[in-house]
Amino acid sequence: MNILIPAAVLAGIGFVLGFLIFIVEKYFHVEEDPHLDEVVELLPRYNCGACGFPGCKEMAAALLGKQSKPAQCGPLKKEAAEELQKYLDEYYKSKQ
Amino acid sequence: MNDLISLAFSAFIIENIILTQFLGICPFLGVSKKKSSALGMGMAVIFVIIMSSTITWVLYQYVLVTLKIEYLRTIIFILVIAALVQMVEIFLKKISPALYKALGIYLPLITTNCAVLGVAILNINNGYNFIEMLVYSTFISLGFLFVMYIFAMIREKLDYAPIPKAFRGTPIALIVAALLAMIFARFGGII
Repeated sequence: MNILIPAAVLAGIGFVLGFLIFIVEKYFHVEEDPHLDEVVELLPRYNCGACGFPGCKEMAAALLGKQSKPAQCGPLKKEAAEELQKYLDEYYKSKQ
Repeated sequence: MNDLISLAFSAFIIENIILTQFLGICPFLGVSKKKSSALGMGMAVIFVIIMSSTITWVLYQYVLVTLKIEYLRTIIFILVIAALVQMVEIFLKKISPALYKALGIYLPLITTNCAVLGVAILNINNGYNFIEMLVYSTFISLGFLFVMYIFAMIREKLDYAPIPKAFRGTPIALIVAALLAMIFARFGGII
């Protein structure tokens, strides 16, 4: 029976924390540019920092803002880079 | 009061979390290429260490000890730290997008930063009371920021130094880190 106490405590803490995250997420939700996630999908998502940005998401934001080029990403494969370039060209065109 | 000052000093320099306890080496090497990002990471770590060690200390003393289930502390601490970082991230994104952008990927990376869990466990192992715990976690995280910043300054200068090609980048950074650790080891006998 003793095993039930730690199990209950662990489950309780997990439940409380999960619920708190749910509440925080609900009240502090922020809408993001959907293009950002799509560009992140096209990047390798290693978060290696080889591009000079802290992570792939920052790199994606820089790509959308024309502050960086796909060639800056070290681990990006050649075919993937072409695909990314195609996506970005369309994005730049739609912006103009 | 004297005890607290010596505790603060030893947490800051003598027991420096990176260079003498060797915790949090991953951000130390990974995020020290630029001074600004080292500063951002240091700030985020200060924030998370102080918050998480306060919560874990209270949880340990008042829940785990009362119920005599102290052996659960590692798993509960990890749970609390992970959830806390997640909440802080969502919170910052809404309240201060500028700070959120500056911290970027480092914020979620702190979840798996062993320095945070290390400080939470050291607070318990060393048997600190509430005030001592606060002083210790504050100064240990300030020590983290301090070492990150000097290391980033050195690494920025290293970019212009005439280093043999084979040593450029990470190898020379590791050598510098070893030299820094040797310097910090010399503080060992002060208190």
